[in-house]
Amino acid sequence: MSPGYLARRFLTILVTLLIVSMVVFGITQVLPGNAATMLLGENATPEQLAAVTSRLGLDRPVWLQYWSWFSGLLQGDFGTSLRTGLPVGPVMAEALGRSLLLALLAIVLMLVIAIPLGVLAALRRGGATDLGVSIGTYLGVSLPEFVTATLVLIFLAHPSFGLFPATGYVPLTEDFWSGLHHLALPVLTVSVVLVAHVSRMVRSELVDVLHLDYVRAAHLKGLSRGRILIRHALRNALLPTITIVALDVGYLLGGIIVVEEIFAFPGIGRELIVAIQARDLPSIQAGALIMAATYAIANLAADLCYAALDKRIQYA
Amino acid sequence: MKKILPLDRRQFLHRATLLGAAVGTGIGFQSGPALAQSARGGVLRVSVDQAPARLNPLQHRVNPEYLLGELLYSGLTRLGRDMQAEPDLAESWEANETLDTWTFRLRQGVTFHDGTPFSASDVVATFEAILDPATGSPARTNIGPVKTVSAADDLTVVFHLSSPYADLPVALAYTDAKIVPAAIVESGLERLDSEAVGTGPFKLVSYEPSRLTVVERNPDYYDPERPYLDRVDVVVYPDTTAEAAALISGDTDLMLIVPPSDFERVGGTTGITPLRIPSGQFLNVILGCDEKPFDDPRVRKALSLSIDREALVELVAEGYGTVGNDTPINSAYPFFADLPAKTPDYEAARALLAEAGYPDGLSLELIASDRPGTRTQLAVALRELAAPAGFRIEVQTLAHATYLDQVWLKGPFYVGFYNMQPTVDGIMSLLYTSDAAWNETKWNNAEFDRLIAGARGTIDETRRAELYAQAQQLMHDEVPTIIPVFFDLLGAKRDYVENFELHPRGAVFRLDHVSLGEGKPQRG
Repeated sequence: MSPGYLARRFLTILVTLLIVSMVVFGITQVLPGNAATMLLGENATPEQLAAVTSRLGLDRPVWLQYWSWFSGLLQGDFGTSLRTGLPVGPVMAEALGRSLLLALLAIVLMLVIAIPLGVLAALRRGGATDLGVSIGTYLGVSLPEFVTATLVLIFLAHPSFGLFPATGYVPLTEDFWSGLHHLALPVLTVSVVLVAHVSRMVRSELVDVLHLDYVRAAHLKGLSRGRILIRHALRNALLPTITIVALDVGYLLGGIIVVEEIFAFPGIGRELIVAIQARDLPSIQAGALIMAATYAIANLAADLCYAALDKRIQYA
Repeated sequence: MKKILPLDRRQFLHRATLLGAAVGTGIGFQSGPALAQSARGGVLRVSVDQAPARLNPLQHRVNPEYLLGELLYSGLTRLGRDMQAEPDLAESWEANETLDTWTFRLRQGVTFHDGTPFSASDVVATFEAILDPATGSPARTNIGPVKTVSAADDLTVVFHLSSPYADLPVALAYTDAKIVPAAIVESGLERLDSEAVGTGPFKLVSYEPSRLTVVERNPDYYDPERPYLDRVDVVVYPDTTAEAAALISGDTDLMLIVPPSDFERVGGTTGITPLRIPSGQFLNVILGCDEKPFDDPRVRKALSLSIDREALVELVAEGYGTVGNDTPINSAYPFFADLPAKTPDYEAARALLAEAGYPDGLSLELIASDRPGTRTQLAVALRELAAPAGFRIEVQTLAHATYLDQVWLKGPFYVGFYNMQPTVDGIMSLLYTSDAAWNETKWNNAEFDRLIAGARGTIDETRRAELYAQAQQLMHDEVPTIIPVFFDLLGAKRDYVENFELHPRGAVFRLDHVSLGEGKPQRG
């Protein structure tokens, strides 16, 4: 892979983010109500409204507001939240960190469960195990997160069983076990769809690969079953899976917003929802940009992984 | 006519113009004798349904923020559960004959959390900041007709008013009229967005707006007895089901607002005490009195006569409320006039409509915001309830942002929602007098204005009660707005949480009196 290719990809990402920021800014201009009306609510006199509008700079021309935000961004300053008066950058970074932790744990859980599950189903194709996995994953793929979350809440967080806390978040640095305990249900909910999706993918790819000539050749060479499975078959079957995982990261971001809302998990998704409700422009911009960037970078990472696993793939 | 007055005239005069006498803390708030024996220590975990977005006490707008304001800051006065003013940073106060100059004596030896001493200059600077529209403080329209504030000496502050105002000590207990250091007012209030420099019973430990705010006991609080708790954790639960689950499982100890739909289940759980208090919080239907068809009082009366209020209390408040009589004052306020209850009379309503020129009935569009959800419930119920009288109401629900931007204070027919105000005058001159800051009904009734102004300038309790009763009667008859239902406030606490009661105003919590009794959880 050439450095030129990487540079082009990064440039594309930057241009995409620039367009995203303009579109987001445009949409927030069309929405009824600005941060001042939302801040003051049914507590505002026209005079106060005017004063706060001017204090927040919302009476300036749109292009000027955009420029002052953008020029700050170039210096690494995401601006100040209109809602809380706190700097947006650190708040969003912290929220992103929590969301990434949630996503990372969900992906780890997914890999630990989905790949063995897919392999098992492929090896026992047509049997009861395969059927069970197939039905289970169908369910997992088709249930939206809010349904899974509700089911998980009903069965695992019911106060009379006291298995898991229903909501909230405790930083791992504050209390590791309590932190994990609080993370369990959101992670489980997010990973249900991922596990279902990926194990289906692994199964069908593996079933295809197991019938290819080179696998048969390997058998004839007298290689052990496990070695064939891991070194030869699985490696090829995982390639398309990586693309699916990368696409799932984008999907994961959307799913995480729902999960964060239901489990009161203070991640980037919930920050974004609150920001939109409050018409908190700098926070909305930061949240949208961070999410778009995460998606773009996940895709780039998938392509790079692809190249690393299959030397025949060259990006130039 | 029955009047419910919390104090007799002599008591009132004593409170209102407390001459010189220093008064102990907490008068009128605690009814029980247990204060001195209250157990010290422990961590209280209280849940709130919304993130406290603003730490600056002059800009608080929602209950979780009011709670933080109260924990971290003090005002000049405090609002007792009987809706009377109690001393806080001011120990005593008096007014001149004409009720337009008030003098407050301040508590001695108080310090802010950063160690700087508190004095009259802090009070002056704070109120100057509140009166500056650029600060955007809701207190500005709620502390009465304050013109200027000056310091007579280090411990004496004088309020000069633009008109007589008997309620000033109560109005100064307003949630956002918290005293901040003069040095911060001068150097920029932004500092208060991330720091708390108050004189309150607790000091800020950490503030994560969307998750958790932690405060600990202020060892230098002016009352050496209080607070009893070592620490308070304010935990955010945006979903009330999850919030209730946390209380039931013992994760939290106190839930300040329980929705009516969850009240029976949560309150009935072993180990939990349900809390309930009637409040002046109401839903209203705004009738734009300056445009057709509501400029005709007969149409307003017809609508008022076609509503089954008992049914609305069941539907909208799930039974946890009381019927309203088209005035914003109910029994939770002093000076409440118990007027004859309005009951549905479809025939009279139809006759009034015909007389007003609508013999075939009237088609209207009623707008409701989606927050809180009870607004839409009321609108839909109204559509059904008023149909037999000939009202064909179409309901439109808007997102709250759109509602605030396009309908509130502008539309002729929409559903409003208001919290209880500290005084009768507070709600009347906020919404219904001709010069009211949010005169959404455009009623503009000179007689009503005269009555309210008269009551503001009178210290004689009996006379004030008469004036307010006449004002309520006028609203009852003329129907500038329909106020069919008042809500009870509902909450819940673990049994070991002692000395906590809901306050009818809703925005007052007084955790400085709370202690933890037997069975309290061990927390670090």
